[in-house]
Amino acid sequence: MQLASNPLLTSKVYDVADFSAAQELFHANGWTDGLPIVPPTPPAVAACLDWVGMAPDQLLGVEPVRAQPITAEKLAINAVMAGCLPMHFAVVATAWQAMMQEEYLLHGVTSSTGGCAALIIINGPIRLEIGASPTFNALGNSDRATAVIGRAVRLAVINLLDVRPGGIDRSTLGHPGKFSYCLAEDEEGTQWLPLSMARGLPAGASAVTVMAAMAPRQIMNEWTTDPKEILETFAAEMRANQLNYSIYGGNYVIVIPKQLREHIEAAGWSKRDIGEFLYERARVRRGDWATVGKGSVVRDRADRIHPALASPEHLLVVAAGGPAGGFGAVIPPWMGSKTKAVTAAIGACIDCGPPDAGTTRRGEAGS
Amino acid sequence: MTMRVLDPSNESRVVGGQLAARPTSLKGKTVGFISNGKEGTKGYFTHLDRMLREELGVADVIWRTKSNYSAPADAHIVDEIRKWHAVVAGVGD
Repeated sequence: MQLASNPLLTSKVYDVADFSAAQELFHANGWTDGLPIVPPTPPAVAACLDWVGMAPDQLLGVEPVRAQPITAEKLAINAVMAGCLPMHFAVVATAWQAMMQEEYLLHGVTSSTGGCAALIIINGPIRLEIGASPTFNALGNSDRATAVIGRAVRLAVINLLDVRPGGIDRSTLGHPGKFSYCLAEDEEGTQWLPLSMARGLPAGASAVTVMAAMAPRQIMNEWTTDPKEILETFAAEMRANQLNYSIYGGNYVIVIPKQLREHIEAAGWSKRDIGEFLYERARVRRGDWATVGKGSVVRDRADRIHPALASPEHLLVVAAGGPAGGFGAVIPPWMGSKTKAVTAAIGACIDCGPPDAGTTRRGEAGS
Repeated sequence: MTMRVLDPSNESRVVGGQLAARPTSLKGKTVGFISNGKEGTKGYFTHLDRMLREELGVADVIWRTKSNYSAPADAHIVDEIRKWHAVVAGVGD
């Protein structure tokens, strides 16, 4: 293979006896998440770079706090380790570019005791090209593409930022999403705008949204077709998160699978309508902290109202999940608005202006 | 047959800052505290403040709190550090 001897790759090379020896080398150096890795051979890494048209030394960004440069070569090595095929790499690269935007607070969210993970949501044609499956097990082991993309992002956090448990990663508990936390939106199964369009990107653009997120909180309500009653269950879960975890508002993701989604869509509700409803309903009185054992921090502010969302736009509604089951999920933010979700287009030209002003961030990731 | 693999770590490390000179004594000196603002820091820094003044003769203890407990200290706090002889950046929960 022509790329096998790519002379531009500059990473240190190790010669190991076989596959097993490669595993032990990587585990011994703390370069894994505890699971076996795909050995990152020069041809495999070069193939990733070739797919997106990036030079090995292309700078994808600099981690803002510790000033760590992130190059395409290093990211591709970690992507190969995670099991990525070359076609997956553009998503990994764009997710990382989004995470390096200042508002994501990359150092804070990867080092915090709060123990969040990078939730990655994929929109646009690339979902179909890479075989991402947004239906059954959308938040679990749904498909190869989302499994390896989410894992690649985490491995790169470990290896490029030295974010290891007990080191920079001070997570008290963490959660299973720290292995991989990635899903695609079921754009073919909904009438709603894709998340990327709701956040300002044009139709037809492939995109990645990243959010520093806690574990999913699953809800169930299969006993109504009324959108307000369905969404009241989501609101209750958001309020529970506010009281039991963090009262402060931020970006929330809600994942609505097809069974509940069809009831809401049939009633003519848009994602915007859902955001406005939950903006009003998902809020708690500070004094209610006393009902969950946190009375000591209520102080003289018992009547203060804390909305889960600073505005309806802070809700990220994602259509995903299997066709049957009156379930849904609320995915809370790591810690209020200290971090913000970032959406970036895949393959966008960095010199091209956005179609309109907005809060959405756009990144670039090859062609 | 051997297998050739690449190092996944960030080998291109940025050269970090240099450590400031260590004071040989804290007597008569000014010590700054940079708190992350969490509840647990109050008791810790209150106790440390007393120890520094009473047991080590520190002249002044300056308390500052970051605006975001998970982000680096604000620029105006970093600017103040040059006026201090020592700083304690505590992590507390």
